[in-house]
Amino acid sequence: MSDERDAASGSHPSVLDPTAGRHRRRRRGLTLAGVAVGISLLTVLLGFGLSRDPTVIRSALVGRPAPEFALQTMDGSQAVRLADLRGQVVVVNFWASWCLPCRVEHPALLALWQRYRDSGVVFVGIPLWDRSSAVRAYVEELGGDWPELADPASGTAIAYGVYGAPETFVIGPDGSVAYRRVGAIGYEELTGQIERLLEGSK
Amino acid sequence: MTGPRAPGRVSVGAAILALSLLAGAAALTVVAFRGPARTSSLQDRVHGVASTLRCPVCQNLSVADSPSRLAQQMRGTIAAELKAGRTPEQIRAEFVGAYGEWILLSPPKHGIDLVAWAGPALMVLGGLVVAGVALRRWTAGKGEEAGEALSQTDRGLLEQALSKIPDETEEVR
Repeated sequence: MSDERDAASGSHPSVLDPTAGRHRRRRRGLTLAGVAVGISLLTVLLGFGLSRDPTVIRSALVGRPAPEFALQTMDGSQAVRLADLRGQVVVVNFWASWCLPCRVEHPALLALWQRYRDSGVVFVGIPLWDRSSAVRAYVEELGGDWPELADPASGTAIAYGVYGAPETFVIGPDGSVAYRRVGAIGYEELTGQIERLLEGSK
Repeated sequence: MTGPRAPGRVSVGAAILALSLLAGAAALTVVAFRGPARTSSLQDRVHGVASTLRCPVCQNLSVADSPSRLAQQMRGTIAAELKAGRTPEQIRAEFVGAYGEWILLSPPKHGIDLVAWAGPALMVLGGLVVAGVALRRWTAGKGEEAGEALSQTDRGLLEQALSKIPDETEEVR
């Protein structure tokens, strides 16, 4: 600061008006302070932008009625309508045979299905951008016997705001979305959600 | 040397610059307000909706511009809904319902998102103010120096001192 003052008085030989230098110095100080405040504000803003993961999308659906769907299973043997499942907890898993995190989460999904299939929890899978032969091979390899539903033109996935695989929605007995997980689910995480919903419905 | 002629030349140059800038701005304004030619084929209407939606699996691409499978299917969904008689606004609202306001490429005009709308205008205003102040100071400085060069006599000193007074009061204000 003292350097600036020296520089300021040095570059302005204001012999005629001694107040001019003082005014200039004060003005210069104000300008510097303004620039400093501006730069810090911008830094904070940019830092905030950097700290946010642009791929994380907050769900707009949690707490709202789950979009209805009525879909055939991949083999065409069965039709599943969400409306028919009112009163039960529904776990909807969007996945794909080509998706690695889906493979990672599959054991957890399988364990959950085995634990809750007889206690009012319905599991359905909706493969995304997949072939039925690949889906069949995947299920045969990794196990699980919940309905895998064909979603023509991904209409249901789009209605659920899905942007990748895997994504898992837990729908409460009242038909509203209670929980949404983007990416591989964990066993404990979903157990907590399911237990809470089962408790609430008693 | 070029003292008396310089201001005249500068202002002619400035006038030409200002005129060309004005002409450019006017042309851009006309284009911006007229927008692309209006057509109402289904494809154009789909494009109209899709170009306002963000492709969920891309970085900074609209549903209209993305070649991804999901964006392709979203365009299909939009086409089906338009055919069913829904308005672009209704369709956008549905996408917002599923994906949140994140899906909209332009931020909503309320809350904190207003900053994105007002910010640029405020910055232009701020820039104009700064430019104006800088210009004033610059021209004032020139006069001062010229005064000093001529101030061999007391009369010159007096003129300089007098010319400073309104300047100072304005700066303090």
